[in-house]
Amino acid sequence: MSRVRVRRGLTAAALTGVMTLALAACVDDGSDDEGGGGSDEKLVIGTSLPLTGEFSQPGKAAQEGYEVWRDMVNESGGLLGRQVELVVKDDASNQNTIVSDYNALISKDKVDLLLGTFSSLLNLPASAVAERNGMLYVEPAGGSPDMFNRGYKFLFFAQQATADKQGLVFADWVSNLPEDQRPKTAAYPTLDDPFAQPVVEGVKEVLEDAGIKTVYEETYAIDTKNFDTIVNAMKNADPDLVVHGAQFEDGIGLTRSMLKAGFTPDMFFETNAPSFADQYSDGVGAENTEGVMFAVSHSPDADTPGNAEFVAKYEEMFGGTPAEDSADAYAAGQVLQAAVEAVGSIDDQEALADWLRENEVETILGPLSWNDDGSPTGEFLIGQWQNGKAEIVLPEEASTSDVQVGWKPGNAG
Amino acid sequence: MEELLQNLILGLLLGGVYALAAAGLSLIFGVMRVINIAHGAFLILGAFIAYSLWDDLGIDPLLGVVITTPIVFALGWVTYKLLVAPIRTAPMASTVLLTFGIALVVEGAMGEIWGNNSTSVRPSYADESFTIGGIFLPKAQLYGGLLAVVVLGILWLVLTRTWLGRAIRAAAVNPSSAELVGVKVSAVAALVFGLGIAAAGAGGAITGVLYPFVPGSHYQWIARLLAIVVLGGLGSINGAMLGAVVFGVAETMTAAYISPSWATAVPYAIVFAVLLIRPQGLLGTRLREDAVPA
Repeated sequence: MSRVRVRRGLTAAALTGVMTLALAACVDDGSDDEGGGGSDEKLVIGTSLPLTGEFSQPGKAAQEGYEVWRDMVNESGGLLGRQVELVVKDDASNQNTIVSDYNALISKDKVDLLLGTFSSLLNLPASAVAERNGMLYVEPAGGSPDMFNRGYKFLFFAQQATADKQGLVFADWVSNLPEDQRPKTAAYPTLDDPFAQPVVEGVKEVLEDAGIKTVYEETYAIDTKNFDTIVNAMKNADPDLVVHGAQFEDGIGLTRSMLKAGFTPDMFFETNAPSFADQYSDGVGAENTEGVMFAVSHSPDADTPGNAEFVAKYEEMFGGTPAEDSADAYAAGQVLQAAVEAVGSIDDQEALADWLRENEVETILGPLSWNDDGSPTGEFLIGQWQNGKAEIVLPEEASTSDVQVGWKPGNAG
Repeated sequence: MEELLQNLILGLLLGGVYALAAAGLSLIFGVMRVINIAHGAFLILGAFIAYSLWDDLGIDPLLGVVITTPIVFALGWVTYKLLVAPIRTAPMASTVLLTFGIALVVEGAMGEIWGNNSTSVRPSYADESFTIGGIFLPKAQLYGGLLAVVVLGILWLVLTRTWLGRAIRAAAVNPSSAELVGVKVSAVAALVFGLGIAAAGAGGAITGVLYPFVPGSHYQWIARLLAIVVLGGLGSINGAMLGAVVFGVAETMTAAYISPSWATAVPYAIVFAVLLIRPQGLLGTRLREDAVPA
C-alpha cells in the first residue's frame, strides 16, 4: 500500500515537473541567445512585460516596439558602439511577479540598463525596484499621477502627459463647441484602474465647469465581463456624451453592449481601446467606429523625426500598422538612447537621470521633456476614427484630418 | 418595473451561460473528486476553436458547437488518460496542482497558436437585439442561453436516461460497488472528464461570441466557476445550474442597484453567506465525512 502511495506521489511530482518544463518551453523570455547573453561587447537592457494574462495585449505590442528599437539601433552601429541585447521577462500581468522579475534582472541577469513595463498597475512596483537600486527607469506607459508623487529620481514617463491631463484637449474642444452642437449631459463609466480613472476625472472636471451635467458616473472592477447592466443604466440616464475610461477588452465589451442595447449617444470618447488600430476595429466592427474619439500619444502618419522609418521597420518585422503601445515602447527606447549617448557612459545612472531632467528629447511622439518628478510636460493628441481609420484631429497643428462632431455607428441595433 | 425586468432577464441570460460552463466542473468533481483548475482554460480553448471555425471557415460559432464540442471532448479524454488518470486517487492537493499545471500549459499553447491578442467573435447578430415592449434581448445572449439549455438538456438525458449515465452515477456514489456490478470506473472516469471538458468547450464557444478573450482570460473564469459550484453544492449538477443563475442574477442586480464596482464582489459574499448556513451548498449532499466528530 505504502509503495503504491510513494509511486503515485513520485508520478505526480514527475508529471508536475514535466508540465513546468513544457510551460517554460512555451513561454518565450524574448532574450537573444546569440553571443551567449551578457557578453562584454553587448549592452544588455532588461525589461519585464505582461506577455500573458490580463494585459497581454499592450504587453505584446510593447515587446514589438522594443524589438524594432533594438534592431534599428543595432543596424546603425549600436549604443556606445555596443550591440544592444534585450532580456524580456513575462510578468503574467502580476504585480508580485514583476517585482521578482526586476530584482532578477538587476541581481541575477546583471543588465546594464532597464526599460519600463506596461500599465500603471505594474509600473508602480517595478519603478520602486529600479529606484531602490539606483537605476534609470524610462517607462513607455504608467501615466497615473500616483506614479509621480513619490519623490523618485530615476523614473521618467516617455509620453506627452500624465493620465489626468490626457483628455484635456478633448474636454476643451467639447466645452468650446457651438451651443447647438455641445452636449448637455454626459456619462462617465470607468474601469477601476490607476490610468483610466484619472483621464475620466480630468475630462469630467472641465466639462462640469462648462455646464455639462453629469447624469451617470460609475466605476467597475477589472474582472467585469458583462457590461449590459451598466449600459442599461446609462441608456436610462440618456446622456448626449459618454466618456469611457477603458483599457482594451472592457472598451470592446462596453461598446458592443451599447450597440446591442441600441444606445448610441451623440458623442463617444474612450481611453486606450480605440488606439489599438485594427484590433479595435475588428473587436467592435469597423462600421461602428465612425466618430469615436480617444486620447493618443502617437500617429503612424505624424510628421515627427524618425516616425516614417519606425513605421516602415515595424511593418517589415511584424506586418501591419504599429499600435500606439508599440510606438510608446519605441519612444521609451529613444529616450534611454538619447540620455546614454549624451552622457557617453552607463556607469553613472544618476547622471543619465539628471541629463533627462535638463534636456528635451526628440522622439517619434514629438519632443518630450520632464518635470523634476519625471512627469512629462507636454500635451496629448486626440484621435478620431474616420472612414475605418484612426486620424489625429486635435490639436489642429498636429492633425491629420478635420475633427467631426458625433459618433455614427453603422450597425446600431 | 420595466428596468427591474430588464435587469432580471439580463441576469438570467448570463446565468444560463455560467450554468453550462459550471456543470462540467461539478460533474468532474462529483465522479472523481478532482477539482479541475484547468476548466477555465478549456473554456477559452473552446472559444478559440469557435473563433477559428468562424474566421477561417465562415462557420457560425454557435452552430459550430457541434464541431467544437467533440474536439474539446477528445482533448479532455486524452488529457485524462495521459495526465490525470495516474494520480486520480492521489491527495486532492496533487490533482489541484496538476490541473493548475494543465491550465498553464493550455494557456501557453493557445498563446503560441492564436497569439496573446484580444480576440472577438462577431457573427452578424453579435451586436443586435430583439426589442419587446421597451425591453431589449441581445440576440447573442438569447441564442447562447438557449444553446446552453439544449446542451445541458442533452447532458441531463445522458446522465438520467442512458446506461452510461447510470454507470456515471454509480461510480460517483460508490465506486467500489460499481466495480463489483461490472462498471469499469476508470473508463467511466475518462468519459466523465471528457464530457465535463466538452461542456466547458461548448460554454467557451458561447462566451466567445459574448465577450472578447485572451488566453489568460481563464483565470477570471475559473474563479467564478469554482464559486458557482461551491454555491450550488460540489458535485451536484442541478446545484451548479442553480448556483450559476443565482450568481448571474446577483452580479446583474448588484451592478444595477448597488454599483458596478461591487458587481464582481457581492456574488462571492452571497457564496459566503450561503455556506455559513448550508456548508454543503444549495443542493449539495451532506456526507458522513462532513460531520464534525463529537
